[in-house]
Amino acid sequence: MFEEPYRWVEAIRNRRDYLEEQLSAGSPIVGLSFEKGILLATVGAGTPKLYEIYDRIAFGGIGHPADMEKLRNTMLDMAHIEGFNRSPIDVTVRRLMKFGLAPMIKQAFEEVLNAPYIVKIIMAEINSTSEKPLFFRLNYDGVVEERGKNLILAGSSDMTRRMENFLSTVGETASFSFKDALRVALRTWAVSEFATASEGEKTDPSSAPTADQLDPLLKKTIEGRLIEVALLDRTQPGSSKYRMATEGEIETSLKGWLKYGTP
Amino acid sequence: MEGRLRMHDGDFWSLLKEKGYQLGPASLPPGMESAVGRVSITEGTTIFSLKYKDGVLVAGDRRATAGTTVMYDRTDKVIDIDRYSVMAIAGVPATAFEIARVMEHTFKYYRRSQLQELSLEGKVRALSKLLKENIPMAIQGIGAVAPIYAAFDPQRKEGKIFFYDILGAEFEGVEFATSGSGSPAIRGVLHYQNRWSGRPLSELSEEEAVILTIRLLETASEFDAATGGVNREAHLYPLIKLVTSEGVRDIPQKKLESLYTSKVMVDSH
Repeated sequence: MFEEPYRWVEAIRNRRDYLEEQLSAGSPIVGLSFEKGILLATVGAGTPKLYEIYDRIAFGGIGHPADMEKLRNTMLDMAHIEGFNRSPIDVTVRRLMKFGLAPMIKQAFEEVLNAPYIVKIIMAEINSTSEKPLFFRLNYDGVVEERGKNLILAGSSDMTRRMENFLSTVGETASFSFKDALRVALRTWAVSEFATASEGEKTDPSSAPTADQLDPLLKKTIEGRLIEVALLDRTQPGSSKYRMATEGEIETSLKGWLKYGTP
Repeated sequence: MEGRLRMHDGDFWSLLKEKGYQLGPASLPPGMESAVGRVSITEGTTIFSLKYKDGVLVAGDRRATAGTTVMYDRTDKVIDIDRYSVMAIAGVPATAFEIARVMEHTFKYYRRSQLQELSLEGKVRALSKLLKENIPMAIQGIGAVAPIYAAFDPQRKEGKIFFYDILGAEFEGVEFATSGSGSPAIRGVLHYQNRWSGRPLSELSEEEAVILTIRLLETASEFDAATGGVNREAHLYPLIKLVTSEGVRDIPQKKLESLYTSKVMVDSH
């Protein structure tokens, strides 16, 4: 069946279409820098999406929960063996991604007789030496992208672009407090809801919606859903800098904005 | 893709073994005789732990000896394992440090993989299992470790102390625990102090507990050559850690220096 190379290319094309379709409805994850380090936020879709991998490394994904779980476990194993055999400082996302995860994903993608991983992954790291945050995005076909200030993981490239457009109108978030950073992150997330809600209308993907347009939609959408926020907080004592934001912290940030009460 | 599925139970030790890790040789290679007695192996120590008012205090002297040679006088024998627990090591540092490292990684791996913290009972048992892995070396006299594991249980809001023999049996020290070559000298003192001083150890304040600790280690160094005492000129003091509801805290050296001159050496209580 695959003696003809053309058939393989066709199979890959079909595979891509299939995966794009599978991933398009995933709840996006917004990653950005704030004053204490890195904030990752998403609004709940059922299974938790944000996880700790190592002392300064966080992981998030869109896609099939079982595939995400397998990759999460692979990352955990690689990181901990490396941290034990060498040292925790030697465990970097760049190494884990480029030499560990990406080859594995690419291989699964192009071996058309086997199943691909139905996932898109975001990984974030605060570096102990340079203090500069790093974000990595890994696609189902094994392509790795590295970014410095923020990163959007969304189900489709169109959605990613829309959300990135909005985020760029906000500017630098590196000095923002938790409250302000969460506000930006949730609004950015809401761009995905806005785009879906206004699907019938002709909206120009390069023009970003405003906060006034997003806030009412956001308020309605988060009703009864879980807001998941993971932090890599360099001010946290101990070697592990990862923690989930508490319900209290999130509630306080929403008061006076999306919820009643004084912040 | 690999056909074998591993159940993800958060077990770091089995992952390490899968990758070929060994704590030490299970047995000496054929033709190699045991060199115990002819090779000086670094060991010797006094470590102890006691429950005081706010939690648990864990202390160790700083000396490591090999035969009559002082290998190192600034050894850190009390090691942070995680946010609420420490391990004090007695016996061979090579194996003990390795065990502490495995434990630290094991608890982190479990928490991240299983998304819940390993229970205190599980942690106590994890150390026991590692010591059991070490039995072949311990029996041959080349890697015996008899540690103390002390923790603060944040749920039950109490400190806990466990000590082990070289075969890995766990014992709970209800009020205190001691280990190492200098421990006989102070075990009796601790018991006497707890029982008949009028102030049980568990009622001591932080400062009282630290003063007692320095005096105990000075006493141990008096009677055990392998235990180091305070050396003021060299700014050498024991390593003392506290484990309380706020986590693990070191007593800074400056504090020990000032306590030494102002309270420890002064004859009163």
